[in-house]
Amino acid sequence: MENRLKEEAGKLLKEGKVDYIVGYGKGSVKFRTSPLITNKEEELENLVINPFIANNLSRYPIELKARVGIVVKGCDSRSLISLIQDKKVNREDVVILGVPCEGVVDIKKIEKHIGKDIDQIEEIKREGENLTIQANGSNQTLSFKDAIFDKCLGCEYPTPLEYDVLLGTEISPKPDMEKSLMRIKELENMDATDRWSYWREEFSKCIRCYGCKNVCPACFCERCFIDVNIPQWVNTYATWQDNLVFQLIRTLHVAGRCSDCGECERACPVGIPLRSLQRKMVEEVKDLFDYEAGVDKDALPVFTHYEDTDPEEFIK
Amino acid sequence: MEETKWEPKVVGFLCHWCSYAGADLSGSARLEYPHNIRIIRIPCSGRVDPMFILRALQNGVDGVIVSGCHPGDCHYQSGNFHARRKFAVIRRLLDYVGIEPERVQFSWVAASEGPKMAQVINEFVEGVRKVGPNRLFKDERRDGE
Ligand code: FES
Repeated sequence: MENRLKEEAGKLLKEGKVDYIVGYGKGSVKFRTSPLITNKEEELENLVINPFIANNLSRYPIELKARVGIVVKGCDSRSLISLIQDKKVNREDVVILGVPCEGVVDIKKIEKHIGKDIDQIEEIKREGENLTIQANGSNQTLSFKDAIFDKCLGCEYPTPLEYDVLLGTEISPKPDMEKSLMRIKELENMDATDRWSYWREEFSKCIRCYGCKNVCPACFCERCFIDVNIPQWVNTYATWQDNLVFQLIRTLHVAGRCSDCGECERACPVGIPLRSLQRKMVEEVKDLFDYEAGVDKDALPVFTHYEDTDPEEFIK
Repeated sequence: MEETKWEPKVVGFLCHWCSYAGADLSGSARLEYPHNIRIIRIPCSGRVDPMFILRALQNGVDGVIVSGCHPGDCHYQSGNFHARRKFAVIRRLLDYVGIEPERVQFSWVAASEGPKMAQVINEFVEGVRKVGPNRLFKDERRDGE
Protein backbone atom coordinates (compact mmCIF):
# COMPACT_ATOMS: atom_id res chain seq x y z
CA MET A 1 0.00 0.00 0.00
CA GLU A 2 2.78 2.33 0.94
CA ASN A 3 4.45 2.14 -2.44
CA ARG A 4 1.20 2.53 -4.27
CA LEU A 5 0.50 5.62 -2.16
CA LYS A 6 3.86 7.19 -2.95
CA GLU A 7 3.31 6.52 -6.60
CA GLU A 8 -0.21 7.97 -6.68
CA ALA A 9 0.75 10.96 -4.55
CA GLY A 10 3.72 11.66 -6.80
CA LYS A 11 1.49 11.59 -9.85
CA LEU A 12 -0.98 13.99 -8.27
CA LEU A 13 1.69 16.52 -7.44
CA LYS A 14 3.48 16.18 -10.74
CA GLU A 15 0.34 16.58 -12.79
CA GLY A 16 -0.65 19.56 -10.69
CA LYS A 17 -3.94 17.94 -9.69
CA VAL A 18 -3.43 18.92 -6.06
CA ASP A 19 -1.45 21.56 -4.18
CA TYR A 20 -0.68 19.41 -1.17
CA ILE A 21 -0.51 15.83 -0.13
CA VAL A 22 -1.77 15.13 3.36
CA GLY A 23 -0.73 11.76 4.69
CA TYR A 24 1.18 10.10 7.48
CA GLY A 25 4.85 10.32 8.23
CA LYS A 26 7.03 8.93 10.96
CA GLY A 27 6.26 10.48 14.32
CA SER A 28 8.80 11.87 16.75
CA VAL A 29 7.88 9.22 19.29
CA LYS A 30 8.62 5.57 18.61
CA PHE A 31 6.00 3.73 16.51
CA ARG A 32 3.71 6.72 16.33
CA THR A 33 2.98 8.52 13.13
CA SER A 34 2.22 12.16 12.64
CA PRO A 35 0.58 14.09 9.83
CA LEU A 36 2.79 14.75 6.86
CA ILE A 37 1.73 17.70 4.78
CA THR A 38 3.81 18.54 1.81
CA ASN A 39 3.89 20.03 -1.66
CA LYS A 40 7.35 18.68 -2.44
CA GLU A 41 7.70 15.49 -4.40
CA GLU A 42 10.93 14.50 -2.73
CA GLU A 43 9.22 14.42 0.67
CA LEU A 44 6.73 11.82 -0.45
CA GLU A 45 9.41 9.22 0.27
CA ASN A 46 8.57 9.72 3.95
CA LEU A 47 4.93 8.71 3.63
CA VAL A 48 3.98 5.66 5.65
CA ILE A 49 1.00 3.38 6.04
CA ASN A 50 1.15 1.02 8.99
CA PRO A 51 -1.04 -0.14 11.89
CA PHE A 52 -0.24 3.04 13.83
CA ILE A 53 -1.82 5.63 11.57
CA ALA A 54 -4.15 6.98 14.19
CA ASN A 55 -4.61 10.60 13.16
CA ASN A 56 -7.76 11.67 11.45
CA LEU A 57 -6.45 14.00 8.77
CA SER A 58 -9.75 15.16 7.43
CA ARG A 59 -9.71 18.61 8.99
CA TYR A 60 -6.61 19.68 7.07
CA PRO A 61 -8.40 20.49 3.82
CA ILE A 62 -10.37 23.20 5.66
CA GLU A 63 -7.23 24.66 7.15
CA LEU A 64 -5.12 24.48 4.03
CA LYS A 65 -7.76 26.07 1.82
CA ALA A 66 -6.22 24.39 -1.20
CA ARG A 67 -6.64 21.33 -3.37
CA VAL A 68 -5.50 18.40 -1.35
CA GLY A 69 -4.68 14.78 -1.95
CA ILE A 70 -5.60 13.20 1.34
CA VAL A 71 -5.09 9.79 2.89
CA VAL A 72 -8.13 8.50 4.77
CA LYS A 73 -9.10 5.36 6.62
CA GLY A 74 -12.72 4.22 6.84
CA CYS A 75 -13.61 6.36 9.84
CA ASP A 76 -11.74 9.38 8.48
CA SER A 77 -13.65 9.13 5.24
CA ARG A 78 -16.84 9.62 7.19
CA SER A 79 -15.50 12.79 8.79
CA LEU A 80 -14.51 14.05 5.39
CA ILE A 81 -17.90 13.21 3.90
CA SER A 82 -19.53 14.96 6.82
CA LEU A 83 -17.48 18.07 6.03
CA ILE A 84 -18.57 17.82 2.42
CA GLN A 85 -22.19 17.58 3.60
CA ASP A 86 -21.67 20.72 5.66
CA LYS A 87 -20.08 22.42 2.64
CA LYS A 88 -16.84 22.98 4.49
CA VAL A 89 -14.95 20.99 1.91
CA ASN A 90 -15.62 20.83 -1.80
CA ARG A 91 -15.61 17.32 -3.14
CA GLU A 92 -13.83 18.62 -6.25
CA ASP A 93 -11.02 20.05 -4.18
CA VAL A 94 -9.97 16.76 -2.64
CA VAL A 95 -8.49 13.67 -4.14
CA ILE A 96 -9.21 10.93 -1.65
CA LEU A 97 -6.64 8.21 -1.27
CA GLY A 98 -8.48 5.51 0.64
CA VAL A 99 -6.83 3.06 2.99
CA PRO A 100 -8.85 -0.02 3.91
CA CYS A 101 -8.13 -0.40 7.59
CA GLU A 102 -8.33 -3.36 9.93
CA GLY A 103 -7.92 -1.26 13.02
CA VAL A 104 -5.33 1.07 14.46
CA VAL A 105 -3.03 -0.08 17.22
CA ASP A 106 -3.45 1.72 20.51
CA ILE A 107 0.01 1.83 22.00
CA LYS A 108 -1.41 2.52 25.43
CA LYS A 109 -3.27 -0.78 25.30
CA ILE A 110 -0.08 -2.61 24.43
CA GLU A 111 1.74 -0.93 27.28
CA LYS A 112 -0.98 -2.00 29.63
CA HIS A 113 -1.18 -5.58 28.40
CA ILE A 114 2.50 -6.31 28.61
CA GLY A 115 3.13 -4.06 31.57
CA LYS A 116 5.97 -2.21 29.92
CA ASP A 117 6.55 1.34 28.89
CA ILE A 118 6.77 2.33 25.26
CA ASP A 119 10.48 3.09 25.72
CA GLN A 120 11.12 -0.53 26.63
CA ILE A 121 9.36 -1.86 23.56
CA GLU A 122 11.76 -2.53 20.73
CA GLU A 123 9.52 -3.91 18.08
CA ILE A 124 5.89 -4.57 17.33
CA LYS A 125 5.24 -7.02 14.52
CA ARG A 126 1.98 -8.19 13.09
CA GLU A 127 1.72 -11.89 12.35
CA GLY A 128 -1.74 -12.84 11.16
CA GLU A 129 -4.17 -12.30 13.98
CA ASN A 130 -1.42 -11.66 16.50
CA LEU A 131 1.12 -9.05 17.39
CA THR A 132 4.55 -10.02 18.52
CA ILE A 133 6.00 -7.50 20.86
CA GLN A 134 9.65 -7.47 21.59
CA ALA A 135 10.49 -5.70 24.81
CA ASN A 136 13.70 -5.79 26.80
CA GLY A 137 14.93 -8.56 24.55
CA SER A 138 12.06 -10.97 25.14
CA ASN A 139 9.00 -11.65 23.01
CA GLN A 140 5.36 -11.56 23.95
CA THR A 141 2.32 -12.16 21.78
CA LEU A 142 -0.93 -10.33 21.95
CA SER A 143 -3.98 -10.75 19.82
CA PHE A 144 -4.34 -7.91 17.34
CA LYS A 145 -7.90 -7.36 18.52
CA ASP A 146 -6.70 -6.69 22.05
CA ALA A 147 -4.35 -4.02 20.82
CA ILE A 148 -6.58 -1.82 18.70
CA PHE A 149 -8.66 1.15 19.79
CA ASP A 150 -12.12 0.47 21.22
CA LYS A 151 -13.66 2.40 18.35
CA CYS A 152 -11.95 0.07 15.86
CA LEU A 153 -13.50 -2.96 17.54
CA GLY A 154 -16.93 -1.72 16.55
CA CYS A 155 -15.95 -0.37 13.14
CA GLU A 156 -18.68 -0.79 10.56
CA TYR A 157 -16.88 0.95 7.73
CA PRO A 158 -13.29 -0.28 7.51
CA THR A 159 -13.17 0.58 3.82
CA PRO A 160 -13.47 4.29 3.04
CA LEU A 161 -16.95 5.18 1.85
CA GLU A 162 -15.71 7.74 -0.61
CA TYR A 163 -12.44 7.61 -2.50
CA ASP A 164 -10.78 8.34 -5.79
CA VAL A 165 -8.09 5.76 -5.37
CA LEU A 166 -8.37 2.74 -3.13
CA LEU A 167 -4.89 1.77 -2.02
CA GLY A 168 -5.74 -1.78 -0.99
CA THR A 169 -8.48 -4.34 -1.19
CA GLU A 170 -11.83 -3.82 0.44
CA ILE A 171 -12.24 -5.18 3.95
CA SER A 172 -15.52 -6.55 5.19
CA PRO A 173 -16.60 -5.21 8.57
CA LYS A 174 -16.65 -7.45 11.62
CA PRO A 175 -17.93 -5.14 14.30
CA ASP A 176 -17.88 -6.36 17.89
CA MET A 177 -20.28 -3.82 19.32
CA GLU A 178 -20.40 -5.31 22.74
CA LYS A 179 -16.70 -4.79 23.27
CA SER A 180 -16.60 -1.47 21.51
CA LEU A 181 -19.42 0.02 23.56
CA MET A 182 -18.56 -1.68 26.84
CA ARG A 183 -17.69 1.48 28.72
CA ILE A 184 -20.84 3.22 27.55
CA LYS A 185 -23.00 0.30 28.64
CA GLU A 186 -21.32 0.35 32.04
CA LEU A 187 -22.18 4.01 32.42
CA GLU A 188 -25.74 3.47 31.31
CA ASN A 189 -26.16 0.87 34.00
CA MET A 190 -25.04 3.17 36.79
CA ASP A 191 -27.64 5.28 38.51
CA ALA A 192 -27.89 8.97 37.76
CA THR A 193 -26.02 10.21 40.83
CA ASP A 194 -23.11 7.90 40.18
CA ARG A 195 -22.98 8.94 36.57
CA TRP A 196 -22.85 12.56 37.58
CA SER A 197 -20.04 11.96 40.07
CA TYR A 198 -18.22 9.95 37.45
CA TRP A 199 -18.21 12.80 34.94
CA ARG A 200 -17.54 15.32 37.62
CA GLU A 201 -14.40 13.45 38.64
CA GLU A 202 -13.33 13.09 35.05
CA PHE A 203 -13.80 16.75 34.28
CA SER A 204 -11.95 17.80 37.39
CA LYS A 205 -8.88 16.63 35.51
CA CYS A 206 -9.50 18.81 32.46
CA ILE A 207 -6.89 21.52 31.97
CA ARG A 208 -8.72 23.19 29.09
CA CYS A 209 -5.99 22.61 26.58
CA TYR A 210 -8.77 22.40 23.95
CA GLY A 211 -6.97 19.52 22.32
CA CYS A 212 -10.32 17.80 21.83
CA LYS A 213 -11.79 20.66 19.90
CA ASN A 214 -8.63 21.42 17.98
CA VAL A 215 -8.27 17.89 16.74
CA CYS A 216 -11.95 17.28 16.04
CA PRO A 217 -12.89 17.29 12.35
CA ALA A 218 -16.48 18.12 13.29
CA CYS A 219 -15.43 21.21 15.28
CA PHE A 220 -15.08 23.56 12.37
CA CYS A 221 -16.55 26.84 13.61
CA GLU A 222 -14.20 29.68 12.85
CA ARG A 223 -14.98 31.11 16.23
CA CYS A 224 -15.83 28.60 18.88
CA PHE A 225 -18.41 29.53 21.50
CA ILE A 226 -15.66 29.07 24.03
CA ASP A 227 -13.86 32.10 22.61
CA VAL A 228 -16.92 34.30 22.57
CA ASN A 229 -16.78 36.88 25.33
CA ILE A 230 -19.99 38.80 24.76
CA PRO A 231 -21.67 37.00 26.34
CA GLN A 232 -19.09 34.84 27.95
CA TRP A 233 -20.85 31.50 28.00
CA VAL A 234 -18.23 29.53 29.81
CA ASN A 235 -15.51 30.74 32.12
CA THR A 236 -12.15 30.48 30.48
CA TYR A 237 -10.43 29.15 33.56
CA ALA A 238 -10.75 25.51 34.41
CA THR A 239 -13.32 24.58 37.01
CA TRP A 240 -14.90 21.17 36.70
CA GLN A 241 -18.29 22.78 36.28
CA ASP A 242 -17.23 24.88 33.34
CA ASN A 243 -15.14 22.08 31.88
CA LEU A 244 -18.14 19.83 31.91
CA VAL A 245 -20.48 22.42 30.45
CA PHE A 246 -17.94 23.18 27.75
CA GLN A 247 -17.69 19.54 26.78
CA LEU A 248 -21.44 18.95 26.89
CA ILE A 249 -22.03 21.83 24.54
CA ARG A 250 -19.24 20.66 22.30
CA THR A 251 -20.79 17.21 22.31
CA LEU A 252 -24.10 18.66 21.18
CA HIS A 253 -22.42 20.74 18.50
CA VAL A 254 -20.76 17.73 16.95
CA ALA A 255 -23.69 15.37 17.45
CA GLY A 256 -24.80 14.19 14.04
CA ARG A 257 -21.37 15.04 12.63
CA CYS A 258 -19.24 12.84 14.84
CA SER A 259 -18.29 9.57 13.21
CA ASP A 260 -16.63 8.17 16.30
CA CYS A 261 -13.10 8.64 15.05
CA GLY A 262 -12.03 8.90 18.67
CA GLU A 263 -9.51 11.68 18.13
CA CYS A 264 -10.82 13.75 21.05
CA GLU A 265 -10.09 11.01 23.50
CA ARG A 266 -6.74 10.22 21.94
CA ALA A 267 -5.72 13.88 22.09
CA CYS A 268 -6.77 14.34 25.70
CA PRO A 269 -3.60 14.68 27.77
CA VAL A 270 -5.35 13.87 31.04
CA GLY A 271 -7.20 10.82 29.80
CA ILE A 272 -10.84 11.86 30.01
CA PRO A 273 -12.93 9.16 28.29
CA LEU A 274 -14.43 11.61 25.81
CA ARG A 275 -15.38 8.94 23.36
CA SER A 276 -17.89 7.67 25.88
CA LEU A 277 -19.72 10.96 25.40
CA GLN A 278 -19.35 11.31 21.66
CA ARG A 279 -20.06 7.71 20.76
CA LYS A 280 -23.11 7.73 22.97
CA MET A 281 -24.48 10.58 20.89
CA VAL A 282 -23.75 8.67 17.70
CA GLU A 283 -26.03 5.96 19.08
CA GLU A 284 -28.70 8.44 20.10
CA VAL A 285 -28.76 10.22 16.76
CA LYS A 286 -29.12 6.88 15.02
CA ASP A 287 -31.88 5.85 17.36
CA LEU A 288 -33.79 9.13 17.15
CA PHE A 289 -33.42 10.08 13.52
CA ASP A 290 -32.13 6.94 11.85
CA TYR A 291 -29.14 8.96 10.72
CA GLU A 292 -25.46 8.16 10.55
CA ALA A 293 -22.88 10.87 10.06
CA GLY A 294 -20.76 10.84 6.95
CA VAL A 295 -22.13 7.85 5.12
CA ASP A 296 -23.79 9.74 2.29
CA LYS A 297 -22.28 12.91 0.91
CA ASP A 298 -25.57 13.99 -0.63
CA ALA A 299 -27.63 13.60 2.52
CA LEU A 300 -28.68 16.70 4.44
CA PRO A 301 -26.90 17.13 7.77
CA VAL A 302 -29.24 15.84 10.44
CA PHE A 303 -29.87 19.11 12.26
CA THR A 304 -30.44 21.21 9.17
CA HIS A 305 -33.75 19.58 8.43
CA TYR A 306 -36.58 17.76 10.15
CA GLU A 307 -39.37 15.32 9.56
CA ASP A 308 -42.98 15.65 10.60
CA THR A 309 -42.63 12.30 12.26
CA ASP A 310 -39.67 13.19 14.46
CA PRO A 311 -39.97 11.77 17.98
CA GLU A 312 -41.71 14.05 20.42
CA GLU A 313 -43.20 11.78 23.05
CA PHE A 314 -40.96 13.58 25.56
CA ILE A 315 -42.62 16.94 24.84
CA LYS A 316 -45.53 17.63 27.10
CA MET B 1 -31.55 29.87 62.95
CA GLU B 2 -35.03 29.15 61.84
CA GLU B 3 -35.17 26.75 58.92
CA THR B 4 -36.79 28.19 55.86
CA LYS B 5 -38.64 25.71 53.72
CA TRP B 6 -37.00 25.08 50.39
CA GLU B 7 -39.01 26.17 47.38
CA PRO B 8 -37.95 25.16 43.88
CA LYS B 9 -36.85 27.96 41.62
CA VAL B 10 -37.31 27.25 37.93
CA VAL B 11 -36.74 29.16 34.73
CA GLY B 12 -39.17 29.11 31.85
CA PHE B 13 -38.07 29.98 28.34
CA LEU B 14 -41.36 30.75 26.67
CA CYS B 15 -41.93 31.59 23.04
CA HIS B 16 -43.28 35.08 22.51
CA TRP B 17 -45.88 33.95 19.97
CA CYS B 18 -47.51 31.22 21.98
CA SER B 19 -46.52 30.00 25.41
CA TYR B 20 -45.62 33.46 26.70
CA ALA B 21 -49.04 34.69 25.65
CA GLY B 22 -50.49 31.50 27.10
CA ALA B 23 -48.96 32.29 30.47
CA ASP B 24 -50.30 35.82 30.14
CA LEU B 25 -53.76 34.51 29.39
CA SER B 26 -53.76 32.18 32.36
CA GLY B 27 -52.84 35.23 34.45
CA SER B 28 -55.65 37.37 33.13
CA ALA B 29 -58.04 34.46 33.64
CA ARG B 30 -56.87 34.49 37.27
CA LEU B 31 -55.70 30.94 37.05
CA GLU B 32 -53.02 30.20 39.52
CA TYR B 33 -49.63 28.91 38.62
CA PRO B 34 -46.77 28.69 41.10
CA HIS B 35 -44.63 31.73 41.62
CA ASN B 36 -41.60 29.43 41.52
CA ILE B 37 -41.18 30.11 37.83
CA ARG B 38 -39.17 32.99 36.40
CA ILE B 39 -40.24 33.51 32.85
CA ILE B 40 -37.87 34.60 30.11
CA ARG B 41 -39.46 35.52 26.84
CA ILE B 42 -37.78 34.20 23.71
CA PRO B 43 -38.68 34.93 20.09
CA CYS B 44 -39.18 31.28 19.16
CA SER B 45 -38.44 27.88 20.64
CA GLY B 46 -35.83 27.60 17.91
CA ARG B 47 -33.90 30.33 19.70
CA VAL B 48 -33.12 28.08 22.62
CA ASP B 49 -29.48 27.18 22.74
CA PRO B 50 -28.59 24.20 24.92
CA MET B 51 -26.25 26.63 26.61
CA PHE B 52 -29.26 28.48 28.10
CA ILE B 53 -30.34 25.30 29.81
CA LEU B 54 -26.93 24.28 31.08
CA ARG B 55 -25.98 27.73 32.27
CA ALA B 56 -29.24 28.09 34.14
CA LEU B 57 -28.62 24.78 35.89
CA GLN B 58 -25.02 25.71 36.55
CA ASN B 59 -26.15 28.97 38.11
CA GLY B 60 -28.31 27.04 40.48
CA VAL B 61 -31.89 26.99 39.25
CA ASP B 62 -33.67 23.78 40.12
CA GLY B 63 -35.32 23.27 36.77
CA VAL B 64 -35.67 24.60 33.25
CA ILE B 65 -38.78 24.45 31.12
CA VAL B 66 -38.85 25.39 27.47
CA SER B 67 -42.15 25.92 25.76
CA GLY B 68 -43.00 26.77 22.17
CA CYS B 69 -45.76 26.68 19.61
CA HIS B 70 -47.37 23.42 18.58
CA PRO B 71 -45.83 21.75 15.53
CA GLY B 72 -47.16 23.51 12.48
CA ASP B 73 -47.89 26.71 14.39
CA CYS B 74 -44.43 28.22 14.63
CA HIS B 75 -44.45 31.89 13.66
CA TYR B 76 -41.33 31.23 11.62
CA GLN B 77 -42.70 28.01 10.10
CA SER B 78 -40.04 25.59 11.20
CA GLY B 79 -38.34 26.94 14.33
CA ASN B 80 -40.00 24.44 16.58
CA PHE B 81 -39.39 21.51 14.23
CA HIS B 82 -35.69 22.23 14.31
CA ALA B 83 -35.89 22.77 18.05
CA ARG B 84 -37.61 19.42 18.48
CA ARG B 85 -34.61 17.61 17.01
CA LYS B 86 -32.24 19.55 19.23
CA PHE B 87 -34.32 18.98 22.33
CA ALA B 88 -34.41 15.26 21.72
CA VAL B 89 -30.63 14.96 21.79
CA ILE B 90 -30.20 17.45 24.62
CA ARG B 91 -32.52 15.36 26.74
CA ARG B 92 -30.71 12.14 26.01
CA LEU B 93 -27.33 13.70 26.72
CA LEU B 94 -28.34 15.31 30.00
CA ASP B 95 -29.85 12.06 31.12
CA TYR B 96 -26.68 10.20 30.21
CA VAL B 97 -24.44 12.43 32.29
CA GLY B 98 -26.76 12.10 35.25
CA ILE B 99 -28.94 15.20 35.26
CA GLU B 100 -32.38 14.14 36.49
CA PRO B 101 -34.82 14.27 33.55
CA GLU B 102 -37.40 15.94 35.80
CA ARG B 103 -35.27 19.09 35.82
CA VAL B 104 -35.55 19.82 32.15
CA GLN B 105 -38.83 19.83 30.31
CA PHE B 106 -40.11 20.77 26.89
CA SER B 107 -43.68 21.50 26.03
CA TRP B 108 -45.93 22.90 23.33
CA VAL B 109 -48.46 25.44 24.56
CA ALA B 110 -50.48 27.75 22.32
CA ALA B 111 -51.44 31.36 23.07
CA SER B 112 -55.03 30.26 23.62
CA GLU B 113 -54.12 27.55 26.08
CA GLY B 114 -54.04 29.53 29.30
CA PRO B 115 -55.24 26.66 31.48
CA LYS B 116 -52.79 24.25 29.86
CA MET B 117 -49.89 26.61 30.57
CA ALA B 118 -50.86 26.84 34.22
CA GLN B 119 -51.17 23.10 34.43
CA VAL B 120 -47.86 22.44 32.69
CA ILE B 121 -46.04 24.82 35.03
CA ASN B 122 -47.76 23.30 38.05
CA GLU B 123 -46.83 19.78 37.13
CA PHE B 124 -43.31 20.75 36.26
CA VAL B 125 -42.72 22.54 39.54
CA GLU B 126 -44.14 19.59 41.45
CA GLY B 127 -41.82 17.26 39.56
CA VAL B 128 -38.84 19.42 40.42
CA ARG B 129 -39.96 19.58 44.03
CA LYS B 130 -39.84 15.78 44.15
CA VAL B 131 -36.25 15.55 42.90
CA GLY B 132 -35.20 18.25 45.32
CA PRO B 133 -32.77 21.15 45.22
CA ASN B 134 -30.28 21.25 42.38
CA ARG B 135 -26.89 20.52 43.89
CA LEU B 136 -25.40 19.23 40.69
CA PHE B 137 -22.93 22.02 40.21
CA LYS B 138 -22.30 22.67 43.88
CA ASP B 139 -18.85 21.99 45.10
CA GLU B 140 -18.75 21.05 48.72
CA ARG B 141 -14.98 21.30 48.70
CA ARG B 142 -15.35 25.04 48.44
CA ASP B 143 -17.56 27.32 50.42
CA GLY B 144 -20.08 29.66 48.96
CA GLU B 145 -20.19 28.21 45.48
S1 FES C 1 -42.63 31.06 17.02
FE1 FES C 1 -43.22 29.88 18.74
S2 FES C 1 -41.97 28.17 18.44
FE2 FES C 1 -41.40 29.32 16.72
